[in-house]
Amino acid sequence: MNSDIIIKLENVHVSFWQNNVGVYSLKDLITQRKSPFKTKTIINDISFEVKRGESLGIVGRNGSGKSTLLRTIAGIIKPKSGTVTVNGTFAPILAIGAGLEQELTGYENITLLLSLYGIQRKNTNAVANIREFSELSDEVLRMPVKQYSSGMVARLAFSISLANDSDILIIDEVLAVGDQGFQVKCVDKIKQIKNQGKTILFVSHFPDGVRDICDNAILLEQGEITHRGLAKDICEQYKMLF
Amino acid sequence: MQNITRIYALSKRNIILRYKNSLIGFFWGFFKPLLYLLIFIVIFKHNSGIPNYILFVTSGLVLWFFFSNVTGQSVGSIVGSVGLLKSLNIPSYFFPLSETIGELFNLLLTLLVFFVIMFWFGMDYNLKLLLIFPCIFLFAVFALGLNLFLSSVNVFFRDISIIWNTIQPALFFMTPIGYAESSIDPKYKFFINCNPIYYFIKLGRSILYDPVAPTWQQWSNCLIIASGMYIIGHFVFSRLKNQFISAI
Repeated sequence: MNSDIIIKLENVHVSFWQNNVGVYSLKDLITQRKSPFKTKTIINDISFEVKRGESLGIVGRNGSGKSTLLRTIAGIIKPKSGTVTVNGTFAPILAIGAGLEQELTGYENITLLLSLYGIQRKNTNAVANIREFSELSDEVLRMPVKQYSSGMVARLAFSISLANDSDILIIDEVLAVGDQGFQVKCVDKIKQIKNQGKTILFVSHFPDGVRDICDNAILLEQGEITHRGLAKDICEQYKMLF
Repeated sequence: MQNITRIYALSKRNIILRYKNSLIGFFWGFFKPLLYLLIFIVIFKHNSGIPNYILFVTSGLVLWFFFSNVTGQSVGSIVGSVGLLKSLNIPSYFFPLSETIGELFNLLLTLLVFFVIMFWFGMDYNLKLLLIFPCIFLFAVFALGLNLFLSSVNVFFRDISIIWNTIQPALFFMTPIGYAESSIDPKYKFFINCNPIYYFIKLGRSILYDPVAPTWQQWSNCLIIASGMYIIGHFVFSRLKNQFISAI
């Protein structure tokens, strides 16, 4: 495999078990005598490559399989068939605060996620960087995350995912909830990371953001890549869907 | 090494979360066994015919509440960790495992208090007591196997946690904790023998209460039950784990 290629997907299929309508408990299983699950294909025969330092946008309607595709690349979901080869490390995918523990405080979440991600807890520098980038006050970080506004959650989540010095940055719709100032800051930061030669996978519903950040893009429809090419062309295609 | 750090972090999270919103924190864990102990003393003590009844009951209760807490917490451990599961590439068995470790930590603290307090209730301090550690290890392996099973099936059928919480009290009374084994009608002895928890409680009690050490037969029974349960739990868990994210 060419060392320039950091992510390579070959004929990847991902399917989920979907609950058959109405079978949600053991009682339903016994009384309805239906098989509880049916298999639904989410990602259908996808192959593509991402070069080191490239930033790839992924656009598509809701439910077209974007997040599933990201999770498959990150190794969180195992494909049913096909191979995913990755030559680098990932930052956690913190899609709008999923992964933050609601009952824990901001600081507790930071240390938990950092140690889950393999950064030493003693690394106070990392914590300071997160606090600085998120612009959340000490007082806020001592509160449980359940009391945060959605913008504050997004700030914390995005800052944590940046703290990891990984080769591949996966951004799943994080820019949607932050305020104007933070959005601009995030875009600047993403561009800065891109200029460091890191690889970026960017999922968004805002074509302008994709065009701004990404070189190339793919358009997903019902688990298949229908278009691929330069980000600005794909964004036009995406707009024509609606 | 990195995995050890991760399991440690998750276990710590569980311990923090468990007592986060309660006023007296850790000591809450002692309250439940204490309440049961009082009930048993009031109802059964006078005609149980068991010498040193308080030590007898407490040694059983300590182990039972470890089991009851750890399974009760773990059954929802996969469903409750959906956010982390969807964001990080960490093996999903870490979640029931870290619940088990967090609860083991709790058990060790409880045992410490138990060893001190039982001084006034006729505990015989000797080296045999150290056997409690391998006993706890076997019990924890059994509990982990059951946790793997319960937590993974619960992802697909949420009523598992409800069913489990319903079965638990029945299991509790099917285990000779507050009464002597000999008080069971021999006709129904069979049901007690089918209860896997009985063997662990009995082993633990032989160590903590009985004057003589447990037999090899007792150890091997527990070893077989623990490894059998672990294998079943592991098998079911590995069959289901790839579908967790879609089902939660």
